[in-house]
Amino acid sequence: MTLVDLKPGDSFVVEGVSLGRETGKRLADMGFTQGVEGQVVRMALFGDPIQVSILGYQVSIRKSEAAGVDVVKGTLRP
Amino acid sequence: MKPVRIALAGNPNSGKTTLFNALTGSHQKVGNYAGVTVDTKEGRLTHRGREIVLYDLPGTYSLTAYSLDEIIARDFVIDEKPDLIINVLDATNLERNLFLCLQFQELGIPVVAALNIIDQAESMGLGIDDRQLAKLFRMPIVRTVGTKGTGLEELLDQALARADQGGVSAPAQYSAGLEAGIRQVAEVLETDAKFTGLYPSRWMALKLLEKDEDARKKLGTHTARDKVEAALDKAVKALEKAGGRDSEILVSEARYGYIHGAAKETVTRRAATVTVTELIDAVLINRFLGLPVFLLILWGIFQATFTLGAYPQQWLQDAFTALATTAHAHMAPGLLQSLLIDGVLGGVGAVLSFIPLIILLFLFISFLEDSGYMSRAAFVMDKFLHIFGLHGQSFLPMMLGFGCSVPAIMASRTLKSPKDRIVTILVTPFMSCGAKLPVYILLAGAFFTRDASTAVLSIYLIGVFLALMSSWVFRKTVLKGESTPFVMELPPYRTPTLKGVTWHVWDKSFQYFKKAGTVILAASVLIWAITTFPQSPEGTPREQALQASVAGWVGKGIEPLVKPLGFDWKIGIATVTGFAAKETVVSTLGVLYKVGESDDDTPLQKALQADKVFNPLVAYVLMLFTLILAPCIAAQATIGAELGWRWWAFYVLFSIAVSWSICFGVYQVGSLLRIGS
Repeated sequence: MTLVDLKPGDSFVVEGVSLGRETGKRLADMGFTQGVEGQVVRMALFGDPIQVSILGYQVSIRKSEAAGVDVVKGTLRP
Repeated sequence: MKPVRIALAGNPNSGKTTLFNALTGSHQKVGNYAGVTVDTKEGRLTHRGREIVLYDLPGTYSLTAYSLDEIIARDFVIDEKPDLIINVLDATNLERNLFLCLQFQELGIPVVAALNIIDQAESMGLGIDDRQLAKLFRMPIVRTVGTKGTGLEELLDQALARADQGGVSAPAQYSAGLEAGIRQVAEVLETDAKFTGLYPSRWMALKLLEKDEDARKKLGTHTARDKVEAALDKAVKALEKAGGRDSEILVSEARYGYIHGAAKETVTRRAATVTVTELIDAVLINRFLGLPVFLLILWGIFQATFTLGAYPQQWLQDAFTALATTAHAHMAPGLLQSLLIDGVLGGVGAVLSFIPLIILLFLFISFLEDSGYMSRAAFVMDKFLHIFGLHGQSFLPMMLGFGCSVPAIMASRTLKSPKDRIVTILVTPFMSCGAKLPVYILLAGAFFTRDASTAVLSIYLIGVFLALMSSWVFRKTVLKGESTPFVMELPPYRTPTLKGVTWHVWDKSFQYFKKAGTVILAASVLIWAITTFPQSPEGTPREQALQASVAGWVGKGIEPLVKPLGFDWKIGIATVTGFAAKETVVSTLGVLYKVGESDDDTPLQKALQADKVFNPLVAYVLMLFTLILAPCIAAQATIGAELGWRWWAFYVLFSIAVSWSICFGVYQVGSLLRIGS
C-alpha cells in the first residue's frame, strides 16, 4: 500500500520510499522514513497534490510522488 | 587578531534570516558567489571585543546535489572552511531540522546549534531537554528567540568558545551496516591525503554512498579513483542487499534513525491540540474554497498594486516632465539638450516610474511569503499548471504580467528550481501588459467598431494560450528533464513583522534599481540616438526627420521582412520603436501620420482608416504582433538581470520568431480567405 491509496483523515506509518534519485531522496530527506507516523490532511481541488502531516509539520506532495511512499494504514501501538 | 568566520545555516522557515538580521543589524552586504546568480549575504559584528564575520547560507532541508541552494551551502563550507557553523534549529520542528544538522557535522566543521523559536515550541506543549540533546549530538545548544533577541549573547559566547577550542565535530554513529560501508570507502579515499584534505573522508564516503553526482565529479581528481569506485560499488551492493532499498534512501533512513532515537530521549509532547494554522488552512486551502480564495487574494493584490501605484507613478512622471521642461527652458537647444531630455531623463524616468509599482508589489508578496501563504497558493494551483510543465508558484508572476512584466518577472524569484524559474520568466511576457492596451484600443477602435472589446479580449486569451503552450514546448525541448519534486513544506502561519517585510521590500527594490537601472539608461540613450541621428536640418517636420534617422532606415530596411505580415515601412518603424516600449507604437504612428501626439486617438484612427495599407486583418495582425513581441526594454533588461544575457538573447530571438511566424500565418491565411478586404 502506498500513500496515494489513503483518504484525507487516514493515519499511516511509513515503511520506506521505493523511488530513488531526486524525488525519492527528497522524500526521505523530508522525513518519509521507516517507522515515521503521519496523517493525510487534505487534497487540492483535483485530488492532487495532497497535504500530509508528518514529524509535526505539514508537507505538500504530488500524487506521483506519494505513489513512491510505502505505508501501512493506522498508527503505531504506544 | 583575525576575525572569527561563522556560517549561519538552517532550514527554510527556521527564523534564520531574522536571527541574521538581529545579529548583524545594518552591517551587511549582498554578494554573489562566483558563477552563480544567487545572492548571498555577509555581515560583520563585534562581540566581547572580537570581530566576527557572519555568512548567511541559503536555507535548505538537506545537502544534496539536486538543488542550487544546497550545493552553494555545502560548497561554501568545503571551499571557505569557516571556523564554525551556527545551525539554526526550529524547535517546533526539531527532528527534520536535526537532519540537516547531522550533515553539517559530517562536514567536519564545529557546529553550535541555536534552538530557535523555543517560545512557540513551549506554548505548543513541546518539552525539549536541551542538555541531553547537546550531549547526544556532542555540540553546544543555546535556546534563542530571534524575533525578541533572546539568547543571542549566550549564542555568541558559546560560538566564540567553541571556535577557540577548534578541532572537528564528532559525527553521529549510524547502524553497523552503514558504518562498515563508510569505512570501506573512506579507507580507500584516505590513500590520497591531498584529496581528503579538501574533502573530509567520512563526508565524501557518505555522499558517494548517496550516489551524489557532484561528489562523483569531485572523485575525478582522486589518485586511486578506480579503487574508490570498486570499494564504493561493493559497499553500495552490500547495503542495498541488506536494506532492500536504494542506498541513497538508506543513508537518509540511518540519519533519521539516529535522530528519532535522540528525540525519544529528549522531547516530550503534550497531547496534540488543534492549531491556529490548521483552522486557517481549513478555510484558505479547503478543497473547494482554496481556488476562489486564491483568485480573490490575487485580484486584490493586482488591483491594489496598479491602482494605488498609479498615483506615485504619475507624480514621478510629472516630476520628470517638470524637470524636462526646466531643462528645456534653461539649456540651449541642441544635441546635448535633446540627449538629456529625451535620452537620460526619459530613461531614468522610465526606471524610476516603475519603482512605486515594484515597492507595492513586493510589499504584498513579502507579506504573503512571510505569513506562509505563498506555498499554499502553490498547493492550490499546482495541478493545473503542472499539465503545462509549470510549477504551482508560476501562477503569481504570470498573473502580475497582465499589469507590468517588470515586477512580474521579478516575482518569479519565489520559485526555487532554476528550470521552473526560467520557464516562468520566458512565458510571463505573453501575459498582455498594461502598456500594450493603448495599441489595442487604437486599432480595435478604428477597425472593429462594434466588436472592439471582443477583438481585444481574444488577444488577451491568445496571450494566455501562447504562455501555456510555450512552457509546454520549452519543457519538452530546451528545458527538458524530470520535473522537480513538489515536496514542499507548508509552514505554520506567522504574523509578518514590519521589520522583516520592510527589509525584503528594500532588498528586492534596490536590486531592481541597481541591475535594471543601468541597462535601461543605456538602452534609452541608444533608442534616442537611433531616432535622432543622422540629424535633419533645422525646421524639418518631425515625420521627415524620423524617416531620415537610423530608426527610419531600419523601418524601411525591414519592410521586406514585415511585408509578408501586411505591414508597410510606417508600421515597420512603429514596430522598431515598439521593441523598446509598447507605448511608443501609438506615438510613433501619430508622428508618421502627421496627427501629432495628442492623447485623443480619434484623428489618428481616422488617418489609419484612410490608409489603404490598413484593413481589419492588418490591424488584427498588428495587435497580435504587439502582443507577442518582447514588451519593452525595461522587461528585457529585467530578464537579462535575472537570467543572464544568454537567456535574454534567447528570449528576444524566440519572441521575434514566434511573433513573425504567427502573424505571417494569420495574415497569409486571412488574405487567402479575403478576410477584411
